[in-house]
Amino acid sequence: MQRVKSFLIQVPLWLYFIISVYPLFWMISYSLKDNNEIFVTNPFGLPTQFRYENYINAWTQFNLPQYFMNSVVVSTVATLFIVILALMFSFAIARLRWRFREAVRLYMLVGMFMPLQVIMIPLAILVKDFHLANTYGALIIPYIVIGLPFSSLIFYGFMRDIPSEIEEAACMDGASVYRLFTKIIVPVVVPAIATVVIFQFLNNWNEFMLANILISDESMKTLPLGLLFFQGQYSTDWGGMGAVMTIASLPMVIIYLFFSEQVERAMTMGSAVKG
Amino acid sequence: MDRYLSNKKAILIFLLPALLAYTVVLISPVLQTMYRSFFEWDGLGTAVFNGLDNYKEMFQDPLLMTSLRNGFIFSVVLVVFQIGLGTILALACADPRVKFRKLLKTAYFVPVILSVTVVCQLWIAMYDPTNGLINKLFQIMGISYQQNWLTSPTVSIVAIAFVNAWQFMGYQFSLLYAGVKSIPEQYYEAATIDGCSKWMAHRKVTLPLMKETFKFCFIIAITSGIGAFVQMLIMTNGGPGTSNYTLTFMIYRYAFLENKYGYASAISVLLVAISLVATMIINKVFDRKDD
Repeated sequence: MQRVKSFLIQVPLWLYFIISVYPLFWMISYSLKDNNEIFVTNPFGLPTQFRYENYINAWTQFNLPQYFMNSVVVSTVATLFIVILALMFSFAIARLRWRFREAVRLYMLVGMFMPLQVIMIPLAILVKDFHLANTYGALIIPYIVIGLPFSSLIFYGFMRDIPSEIEEAACMDGASVYRLFTKIIVPVVVPAIATVVIFQFLNNWNEFMLANILISDESMKTLPLGLLFFQGQYSTDWGGMGAVMTIASLPMVIIYLFFSEQVERAMTMGSAVKG
Repeated sequence: MDRYLSNKKAILIFLLPALLAYTVVLISPVLQTMYRSFFEWDGLGTAVFNGLDNYKEMFQDPLLMTSLRNGFIFSVVLVVFQIGLGTILALACADPRVKFRKLLKTAYFVPVILSVTVVCQLWIAMYDPTNGLINKLFQIMGISYQQNWLTSPTVSIVAIAFVNAWQFMGYQFSLLYAGVKSIPEQYYEAATIDGCSKWMAHRKVTLPLMKETFKFCFIIAITSGIGAFVQMLIMTNGGPGTSNYTLTFMIYRYAFLENKYGYASAISVLLVAISLVATMIINKVFDRKDD
């Protein structure tokens, strides 16, 4: 009886396991097939003959390396600035003493609840007015700002928990406020920094909506945007399309498999803050 | 000590970069959208004040009803699939008899980290009426429910919403799982001693204690349903016809394809208002059960 029960509990879990993973397995397997095998002879299973040429074609014939490069630059730079600015900001509201810090904290919080769609139009105009259209700045600047509220809140939470004796000690030792920040506070919140880096990098890497509006130049497209236009070019070559999609996904999946615990924690931490 | 930490210059240096960027790039655009919603404006020329005309026009726009309806359907699909099924999976996964828990959790989460474009392209292929996996699967199982998933005006919105539901299931699942796990073991022991079955214990103990988690899950599911956009754009471009429009899709079309920036701003304001009201209602509903 116990066995049956334990089995019954596991059935939905493994069923959903298949629903969750099989589409990805299917994508990878058709990236190694030709059209005939995908459509007629072997639609579901592993490829009978691994056609690596799909990957070579995908990488060499299209702008994939360029998209990759753009995504790396945009995501890395934006994440770096998010971390630096949010650390500084939260230090000012969590540790320094001044009158309006609570008001400023709430002001920053507003950004977390603002649907991004509402800034789409003015942002497009802002980017045009500052002649940033089709530059890295067109994406990096909005991504930094969008990342600030969440990151600041995470850092704020961590910094509040640092005992105030630390500052007293730093003050006694004659360390300046700047040294206190760089040598003591920042090292203490390293775990929070790791969380924020993962979370923001993923967000920036996968962002689509704003990139779609702000970037039209082929050479500046990020990966999510570039992939959109493979659809037309590849409509007759499913294997090639599969290869493109697999290449685009692999780096993130590998990072995730290495840091799955941290990634999930970073993602779910948002809920602790927002809820 | 106070003097040390209220160094005015230091406060400004730490505070200003983030605060300025945030104000210029986020807050001022929000205010601008509100302001511009009262103007007729093509984004380039001078804006002409027209009072509430944009709003009047909006409520007569047949696309509005389509968009609201689709936003609603989208939200319902997300709630049922992610929260309904997700809760069942989270409860099952928390059962001590379940093995390979880490593998299961990882498998559920992988789609979350994929690019939304990849996921949409993948599902376009899966939904393909002749070569797609879904119809082939039905064929093999002898079910005659083959569909033109993305070109049928009735089925497509659900098919598209499902893609979003599928991709972010793992996210909601991990929130729900964390919620289940956060409940102290003693509560169950007490419930069992009182003669509760496992299922009863979940209903009487687990679910009520997960109120905060559920609240957040509902807010995500419903607001992302109302604001849905990317999936429509990639998979059907709002079609067939205009049948898959959502509020964000309307904003996108009027602002960037038809240069009606003032009108699109009014729709943005409505979108924010609806999202806020939905969030407030969810908060109210979940907080009331306290008494």
